[in-house]
Amino acid sequence: MASTSEIKKGVVIQDPQGLWVVNEFQHINPGKGAAFVRTRIKNLQTGKTLETTFKTSETITLVDVEHRRMQYLFHDATGFTFMDKDTYDQVAMSDADVGTDGKYLRDGMDINVTTYEGQPIALELPRKMTFKVTESMDATGGNTVSGGNMTKEVTVEGGIKVHVPLFIKQGEDIIINTENGEYVERA
Amino acid sequence: MKKEFIETRSRVVKQVRRFFDERGYLEVQTPRLVGLPGQEPYLEPMWSEVKEADGKVHRGALITSPEYAMKRLLASDFDKIYDLGPCFRNGEPWDGTHDVEFMMLEWYRKGISIHELMDETEEMTRSVLKDLPKFRRLTVEEAMREYAGVELGGLLGDREAIANACRKHHQTVNETDTWDDLFFKIFLSEVEPKLGEVPTFLWRYPVSMAALAQKDSDDSRYALRVELYVGSLELANGFVELAEPVEQRARFKEEQELRRSLGKDVWPIDERFMSALPSMGQAAGIAFGVDRLAMLVAGAESISDLMPIPVQERF
Repeated sequence: MASTSEIKKGVVIQDPQGLWVVNEFQHINPGKGAAFVRTRIKNLQTGKTLETTFKTSETITLVDVEHRRMQYLFHDATGFTFMDKDTYDQVAMSDADVGTDGKYLRDGMDINVTTYEGQPIALELPRKMTFKVTESMDATGGNTVSGGNMTKEVTVEGGIKVHVPLFIKQGEDIIINTENGEYVERA
Repeated sequence: MKKEFIETRSRVVKQVRRFFDERGYLEVQTPRLVGLPGQEPYLEPMWSEVKEADGKVHRGALITSPEYAMKRLLASDFDKIYDLGPCFRNGEPWDGTHDVEFMMLEWYRKGISIHELMDETEEMTRSVLKDLPKFRRLTVEEAMREYAGVELGGLLGDREAIANACRKHHQTVNETDTWDDLFFKIFLSEVEPKLGEVPTFLWRYPVSMAALAQKDSDDSRYALRVELYVGSLELANGFVELAEPVEQRARFKEEQELRRSLGKDVWPIDERFMSALPSMGQAAGIAFGVDRLAMLVAGAESISDLMPIPVQERF
């Protein structure tokens, strides 16, 4: 048995209806009631998605998943394809299963993939990733003030847009936090 | 922290004051530090110690809401009052919608109905956030029907019935789950996330969640409680206030019992509040999270963006 504090993206919950991977979760304190964890879970057998809410004090059953080192190969109509670095097996994940993490994937990169019985169920992106700035306007219009510092919007590899300090120039490498999509520092 | 967000929060606070001042409300600065704070089972006050000059020590807590003090003022002949200041709640998640210290607005008015309370709440919100669509009013029963397909009427007060509804809706059911817990599992999964962008008053809560609200005289299984949701944020929680001391004492005792069963600290009922209650008369009031309103005005994603020093940088 496990505590609800172990709920995070990619863990697999077992219940009488089968196995469910957690795609999203959120801690909620309604104030008028107990504390809860709201989740969006997906059934690994049927693909059915639903919302379910646990009281933080209840126990749940988690099953073991594998964390495998894979290489991201390419994106096509079937979704995102990865190759196991040890066995050279190729596996695919749909756009919906990858979700917003997909924009951070670059062809050929190594990434940890959570698998259950060989099937990929979640990606574990590095928290900080380095990207080259591909488009940066000169610091004039559209600047905003963040934490007392002027920032501007630039585009990096993969078309990701991010707010950075004015001194960042086109062609430079910057580090982005993949959890919130924010600029961290110059690489 | 962003400079323009701090400026926005300041403008919002000024506008809130202007709204109530122009309507003849009196701003009352009730105490932040009290001997007996609210005893809501799921709110945790922050405790401290107050020392007198002769060394005598009193236990004291920072308020989770100014409700008790404001009701004592209503009982001493004040009719239209508001309080705007920090409140403190311990043990809540630092998740972008909570801060241990947040700006709470509460206002009370004698003689108004729950619909008049909603009217004024909508007018106040619009005075700050101009371009909102017309607010919806849904009873909790209607919302459960519309979004979850659950007929709440047949489930009220029947734990086994709501447990069965939970099982049908793929929610876990544990022996220790109360009726309210099971209600929240469905409500938080299937109703709250679907309320959408239209500002919505949810009102008429099951009487087990009445807290300090009066029962609905049309159907005593419900209480005259209302909450406002805007852009999926819960902004406000209001009541037609319970003014009946016997019923109020029974509810306080139930709350103490629930706190005990949850292994939480329990403290005495505030008898000064209890003795003021019969003089309060008919009144309605609402607590409103001003930082969350400012988040919507500023388009900020986190309450921390609006705080001069966010909670993550204070502790």
